[in-house]
Amino acid sequence: MNPRLREYWGRFLATFKRRSADRDEELRFHLEMAEQAAVRRGAPAREARLRAGGLSQASDALDDQRMIGWLRDFLRDTRHSVRLLARSPVFAAAAVFSLALGIGANTAIFSVVNAVLLRPLAYKDSDRLVTILHRSNFPVAPANYLDWRTHSHSFERMGAAEWWQPNLVGMDPPEHLFGLHLTESLLPLLGVDPLIGRWFLPGEDQAGSEREVVLSYGLWQRRFHGDRGIFGSPLTLDGESYTIVGVMPPEFKFAPFWDTRAELWAPLAFGERVHDRAANSLRVFARLAPGVSVTQARAEIAAITARLDQQYPGTNREVTVTPLKEKVVGNVELPLLVLMAAVGLVLLIACANVAHMLLARAANRHKEMALRTALGAGRARVVRQFLAESLFLGGTGCVAGFLLALWGTRALIALSPADLPRLDTVRIDLRVVLFTVGITVLTGLACGLAPALQISASNLAGALKEGERGSSERLGRNRIRSVLVASEFALAMMLLIGAVLMIRSFGALQSIDPGFDPRNVLSMIVSVASTQEAEPARREIFYRQVIDRIRTLPGVRAASGINHLPLDGDLWVIPFTIEGRPKPLPGALPNAVYRIAMPGYFEAMRLPLLRGRGIQPSDDMRAPGVVVINERAARRYWPGENPIGKRIAFGPNWFTIVGIVKDSKEGDWAGDIASAVYLAALQNRSFLGEQKFPESSYITLVVRTAGDPAAMAAAVQNAVRSFDRNLPISDVVTMDQVIATKNAQPRFEMLVLGIFAAIALLLAAVGIFGIMSYSVSRRTHEIGIRLSLGADRGSVLRMVVSQGMSLALGGSIAGLAGSLALSHVMQGLLYGVRAFDPLTFAAVTAALCLVALLSSGIPAMRATRIDPTTALRAE
Amino acid sequence: MANRDKADVLQGTLDLMILQTLSTMGPLHGYAVAERLEQVSNGALQLNMGTLYPGLLRLEQRGSIRAQWNRTENNRRARYYSITPAGRRRLDAEKAEWLRMASIMSALLFEGGQ
Repeated sequence: MNPRLREYWGRFLATFKRRSADRDEELRFHLEMAEQAAVRRGAPAREARLRAGGLSQASDALDDQRMIGWLRDFLRDTRHSVRLLARSPVFAAAAVFSLALGIGANTAIFSVVNAVLLRPLAYKDSDRLVTILHRSNFPVAPANYLDWRTHSHSFERMGAAEWWQPNLVGMDPPEHLFGLHLTESLLPLLGVDPLIGRWFLPGEDQAGSEREVVLSYGLWQRRFHGDRGIFGSPLTLDGESYTIVGVMPPEFKFAPFWDTRAELWAPLAFGERVHDRAANSLRVFARLAPGVSVTQARAEIAAITARLDQQYPGTNREVTVTPLKEKVVGNVELPLLVLMAAVGLVLLIACANVAHMLLARAANRHKEMALRTALGAGRARVVRQFLAESLFLGGTGCVAGFLLALWGTRALIALSPADLPRLDTVRIDLRVVLFTVGITVLTGLACGLAPALQISASNLAGALKEGERGSSERLGRNRIRSVLVASEFALAMMLLIGAVLMIRSFGALQSIDPGFDPRNVLSMIVSVASTQEAEPARREIFYRQVIDRIRTLPGVRAASGINHLPLDGDLWVIPFTIEGRPKPLPGALPNAVYRIAMPGYFEAMRLPLLRGRGIQPSDDMRAPGVVVINERAARRYWPGENPIGKRIAFGPNWFTIVGIVKDSKEGDWAGDIASAVYLAALQNRSFLGEQKFPESSYITLVVRTAGDPAAMAAAVQNAVRSFDRNLPISDVVTMDQVIATKNAQPRFEMLVLGIFAAIALLLAAVGIFGIMSYSVSRRTHEIGIRLSLGADRGSVLRMVVSQGMSLALGGSIAGLAGSLALSHVMQGLLYGVRAFDPLTFAAVTAALCLVALLSSGIPAMRATRIDPTTALRAE
Repeated sequence: MANRDKADVLQGTLDLMILQTLSTMGPLHGYAVAERLEQVSNGALQLNMGTLYPGLLRLEQRGSIRAQWNRTENNRRARYYSITPAGRRRLDAEKAEWLRMASIMSALLFEGGQ
């Protein structure tokens, strides 16, 4: 070890040890020897002593070398504080509890913010990755992607991904898997190497040679028990044989947004689709070339797409380049930052509470401090002594808070919506620990500084003369405490308003009418791909028969099927043309949410038919094509006309509008209603497997039950499996669960903000109770005089309560101003309620005043019971 | 603060002096070190305890010397310091450095002008 380090380490250790008597003995020996030498020389012993220096001086110098000075002082102060705190355990417990709550909540929220927002995505140099989409959200057609890739220079690499949900058969049990087709350039672009094996070789994305597959670590463990011998062995997906060539590391996830459940990846071959500019199915990812900024890449993509749009009108509009991380966490950034700010306010309130408790104690210790100063302690020394006390409180609060955070983080994860991105990466890491230590030190300083400065600034000599207690409270000190309590109220007010707004917003979300009746609906996806039911001839019969069999189950009221479940399933928006109208540009075609429904769907979902008829069993291949549209589509595309009997075309196929149904929520829960069309399933070639593209080899069953739909899940699955044991069934959910998932994020925000607001209110109430009790106890004498001079008890009560209320009111006004200032931030989180909601503001103000009234009422009652004679004698 | 300045100037050389003394004389107690230094300097160096003992402690903390209680000739208990191998290495290095500096300084101050 380096000698200097060794010296410092030794001094550090020695700081915690008592000095041994050896040291003094050594010095005494030195003096003795010096005296003997002097006597031998015939000089007086006094001179020898003078030359050797004083014993205590040498001893001090030795101590300075032996230990670390500031640390020794700090430890001494801390020991002193601990002794003092041990004498008032209630105060110490209250202070530590407040701080633990504040620090713990901050640590818990920060650990989530850290994982979700701060840590980079788990790809190499992930800040260089971008995604290229239509209107930052929608997929892209193959020919457009290929053109961008060819013409751009801003990107080192560009790759694309496409939805892929194969059925794993030939293994027991069969399973419906979530996967992605990726172009060969995607893994090199992400910079993550496979754990075992390899990624696709160049050329594997050529049509015909795309039969290789890479597994996620999770899938490899789950289905193959981590067997390394599976490489090169075949895997049957959708009836085709694939070869396993690699396994990705456990932490690898792709895609980070949209299809986040993907567990296996296969090469993406465009084949004939290289010229396709209509079927938007790709998500494009790219790595910026060295030295190129996002702005430059945006400018280049804008230029390329403008050129392409001239060449192929309507195909290249509103193409956006978004940094990948922004795309992944963009939706949760605001809510998390609001929660972070809210929890910061809670800590501020806790600090204010502890600070004013310390101030009250400091007042009692005025005399002790005066004495210390009189005995020569410098001002800095007195301040340090106070800071040691508050830092000790903060440190203890930190340890308790950290334990609280370990539990709180787990609770937060349990509470938070499952689709919160990157939730699985939440953990206490070094950054979280540093954050906690940092806020603890700041907290300690914030709590201790006010009393320390005040004590050291006030006239301490005066305090000694004045005696045990001033006849009336010193005004200045009281003012600081009043400001602290008023600030607590202001902060609590802001939190409460935020929480109440969230509750009202959540209420508004809950009361949204989805159009259909979501109660008692069970749904599941049955996939027929690569089973015996996949054959077009058998598929239609199977779909009809499975629904018929489910209808006969006891407890089932109605059953039907659809391609994608509202709110939960995929959402295809498909352009169409209207008969007899001039053909617009490809990009400006009318479009609608594309649903393919079995007969009886509207009845099963209780989606009311407004005009015309629904989809009937007779609407099959032999009958002319029919379509039912929703109100929104009717109003948008046939304003002032009766759409029934009109014809629309999807591609080359024409359909006659036969009915109009009520609008229903299909994609977003809180968003606008989109136009929707419902085609008859028994007339749909791709749904029945007669046509390969768009691929559609599954049906989403919807079952309306008499009782609890979840209880029927097993019976319905058995009914399906009675046709074929190999049918993979997935996504078994009730409609209520789907809606709860949709509202999980606002519910999470409401709950967490509500909990914080409750804590804040509690702390503020404790604060006002504390200061009023203290004030009453200090003014016992004064109140005694008032009472003996004839003041009635009612006026004493009013005096004390009005003092408390004025603090609360002052704080509330500041809090209202603060809430108004922040209302535009809050607005981003609210649905159906304005951030400046007079009702909420008024209700919260009233509630806070009530709390203030109660918490100053108890000390006030005590004041009226003061006995004038004892109070006066007490002086 | 004149004392403090002197102490600062002394610190580096004090270490060297103590190490050299222990190296030539073998184990000594604190008073003997002070006495020896006073002798060698003809009374010019008079270390008080407040300078000497922190210096010894610092060398001990850095591992250059070690201390042990022992008996004097008069059978008195005293703390004896002895140089360690690491201290000897440090002494050699600093002696060389001192010589180098001294030759540079003397060249600059006395030979340059001639």
